[in-house]
Amino acid sequence: MGMMEKLDVQTQQTELAREYLTFRLGDEEYGIDILKVQEIRGYENPTRIANAPHFLKGVVNLRGTIVPIVDLRLRFGCSSSEYNAFTVTIVLHIGQRTIGTVVDSVSDVMEIPVEAVRPAPEMSSAIDAAYIRGLAQVGERMVILLDIESLLMSQDMGLID
Amino acid sequence: MADTSTDNSTSSAGIDLSQFYQVFFEEAGENLENMEQLLLELDIEAADDEELNAIFRCAHSIKGGAATFGFSDVAELTHQMETLLDKLRRHELVPTPPMVDVLLQSGDALKAMLGRHQGSGADAIDTTELLFNIRAMSLGEAPAAVVAAPAVSAAVAPVAAPAATQAASGASQAASSGAAPTAGQRTVELRVGPLSDLAQADNLVELFKEIVDLGTIEALPDDPALEGVRRFKVSTATAESELMDLFTFHVAREQVAFLAFGQAAPQAASAATPQAEDTSFGFFDNAPGAPGKPAVSASTELVSAKPAAVAARPAAAKADKPAAAPEASTIRVSVEKVDQLINLVGELVITQAMLAQNSRGLDPVVYQQLVTGLTDLDRNTRDLQEAVMSIRMIPMSTVFSRFPRMLRDLANKLGKKVELVTQGEATELDKGLVEKITDPLTHLVRNSCDHGVEMPADRLARGKPEVGTITLAASHQGGSIVIEVRDDGRGLSREKLLKKAREKGIDAPDSLTDNEVWNLIFAPGFSTAEEVTDVSGRGVGMDVVKKNITSLGGTVEIDSAEGYGMRVAVRLPLTLAIMDGMSVGVGEEVYILPLSSVVESFQVSTEMIKTVGGSGRVVEVREEYMPVIELEKVFQVPRFDWEHNSGIMVVVEAESGRVALLVDELLGQQQVVVKNLESNYRKVNDVSGATIMGDGRVALILDVGSLVRRSRH
Repeated sequence: MGMMEKLDVQTQQTELAREYLTFRLGDEEYGIDILKVQEIRGYENPTRIANAPHFLKGVVNLRGTIVPIVDLRLRFGCSSSEYNAFTVTIVLHIGQRTIGTVVDSVSDVMEIPVEAVRPAPEMSSAIDAAYIRGLAQVGERMVILLDIESLLMSQDMGLID
Repeated sequence: MADTSTDNSTSSAGIDLSQFYQVFFEEAGENLENMEQLLLELDIEAADDEELNAIFRCAHSIKGGAATFGFSDVAELTHQMETLLDKLRRHELVPTPPMVDVLLQSGDALKAMLGRHQGSGADAIDTTELLFNIRAMSLGEAPAAVVAAPAVSAAVAPVAAPAATQAASGASQAASSGAAPTAGQRTVELRVGPLSDLAQADNLVELFKEIVDLGTIEALPDDPALEGVRRFKVSTATAESELMDLFTFHVAREQVAFLAFGQAAPQAASAATPQAEDTSFGFFDNAPGAPGKPAVSASTELVSAKPAAVAARPAAAKADKPAAAPEASTIRVSVEKVDQLINLVGELVITQAMLAQNSRGLDPVVYQQLVTGLTDLDRNTRDLQEAVMSIRMIPMSTVFSRFPRMLRDLANKLGKKVELVTQGEATELDKGLVEKITDPLTHLVRNSCDHGVEMPADRLARGKPEVGTITLAASHQGGSIVIEVRDDGRGLSREKLLKKAREKGIDAPDSLTDNEVWNLIFAPGFSTAEEVTDVSGRGVGMDVVKKNITSLGGTVEIDSAEGYGMRVAVRLPLTLAIMDGMSVGVGEEVYILPLSSVVESFQVSTEMIKTVGGSGRVVEVREEYMPVIELEKVFQVPRFDWEHNSGIMVVVEAESGRVALLVDELLGQQQVVVKNLESNYRKVNDVSGATIMGDGRVALILDVGSLVRRSRH
């Protein structure tokens, strides 16, 4: 958990609480750093790319740039991944890249104080613990705080060469 | 900028100059390139005055800028170069090949210095030897300096004086032996103007006073007849041309005029008027009797100095006119701005295409105005796109210009005699491509010089002219540019190549065609040089050259005749940003084929496709069997209507191979704006990029080269 501590120290130095965009994937609620979010759009059918991983839905035209679309539900192994009126694409700005992620619905923007974040226990799941910043209790709900940058930039996502 | 003395510039000007650094670096770079080219073109035996003047001006401009910005090392070196060049242009010295060499080396050193000031992180450059050599050439070997009249020796002494103050180098002893500083002491009237701001002249006074032993300067009352002109009384031993150089740090050359003290010649201030000559004659007659003239001995000084001043004025005026024109008609714009413009126009083209597509169903009778407007929009966007794209196009001469110097050095090193001929320098190419093509071309030219052209003795023995010729030629052919590197050297040897290939473990039967044998040199690790030199022959290169060119969507072809030379032709698309494409439909999906690689298309029935060895499928086209690639399978296109049968073959060609692509339908031809997939995603197999179609959707552009390669495995 050395990385977690370092992250905590960094956040404490800059701010006491961070703002997160929360969204739903099936029954689970996730939060990502709002500063990484460029915009939220409705889902549009992407152009399929052959021989790509199943969660890579394809590429879309975002005002002239070609943006890959990752379905996080497929990546995290959710039971269903329908595309309906509520399905949205969160366009993220990560490093120099623009990447779209498909989620079931966007719920909220919330400020989560650093002390409310608990480390995630070691367990086996579709998400490596390295990509989880922590778990936060917000009222009755548990929000899984994702380190979206390292998740999307990881080798097994296959988004970069 | 570790050890530059920026203090003098910042303290005197009192403003932050750093914002002008970039402009200086760009201009200095251009001047250096210009100077190098001029030096290389210089005919040593019969040096042209205009050329020598042009070289001098280059050095002078760099010096001026460097001194202003406080790059003392650059200023010092250029100052010494300028001294030598000044003597050359005044015919006090005769140009020699070693001088050209030293000047070229100085140019390189300057480039390195400028690079260091720009923060390239390189080590400081030791120019002691260079400086010494230049000084020796301009002083030691100068017979004119010893024999000539006081006027000349007076010109020699001050050359070293500013250098000593600027650089505090101890090497100026040689110069101080020139002449006694008092020998040419005289008083002249200095006129500066017309100036828009009279205070500008104060800078001159300050500068003058800063330099030790230069003399005295005092202001004279302004002459009401000369508006905007300041007058000074100057007592000095320094030649006027030196003073002129000094003053041009602050004001333009044609704004400075020297007159005999007390000589009232109103017309003289308006430099470069036809009267200038007449005035000089009047001046000549009156000079001895003019008030304030110090000594009779100085009259010789005046006589010798005056024609120089008169001559300088019309020359400056003449040089001013052609120089002003290009300055006014071009502007410097950053590449990012141009790229942004291109992107925006690309967007506009897509929007226009979308509008055109959506309006197709409209009744032209009812919506007549709208339809006319859309037609105009179509034409205007196309023109706009072309105009914008042309901004990025730069002539091939920018690439070719680096080769004369490189070949000269290389040929000297190898002891060969080589002449470079360039053709089609005006051929234009996209800037992005120009940058990327430079390295491969450099490699090809090096190869020609190193491996191609024989030693002079060998050439004579073979009955060839002693001097080998390497030709660089660029031309437009259809939608591509072809750049050829030709030499009249020994050419490729079929036997040697085959032998070498077998040594390297490459399967090379004797039955290979010549073309296939030549292409062996593109194999990784292949080198045919008998000896590995530091120039080439390590076998890294030709494969990289081919890879780089292929990645730009280009091809390389080789022709060779043993004993007579070889020719390497590089074919490139004109631009990477826009491409003529053919859209094809496969299932529900649309793919784009580069139109340049499409050979033909035709309808097929299933029985025309034969199999070889069970799975390999071929089709016969004009008595030639061609491998068939089903795009549906390559791209795993999902099928919903199983009844459907792909029935169109598109024959495409790349890397001297042809394949037939099986598609469902041909959708049309259009210009597509090529977008990069890698900027947000990754490289996709068999896909070279993507584009945005009229309906706003993304379509993938197929990499025909990779599809052809696929068929070979």
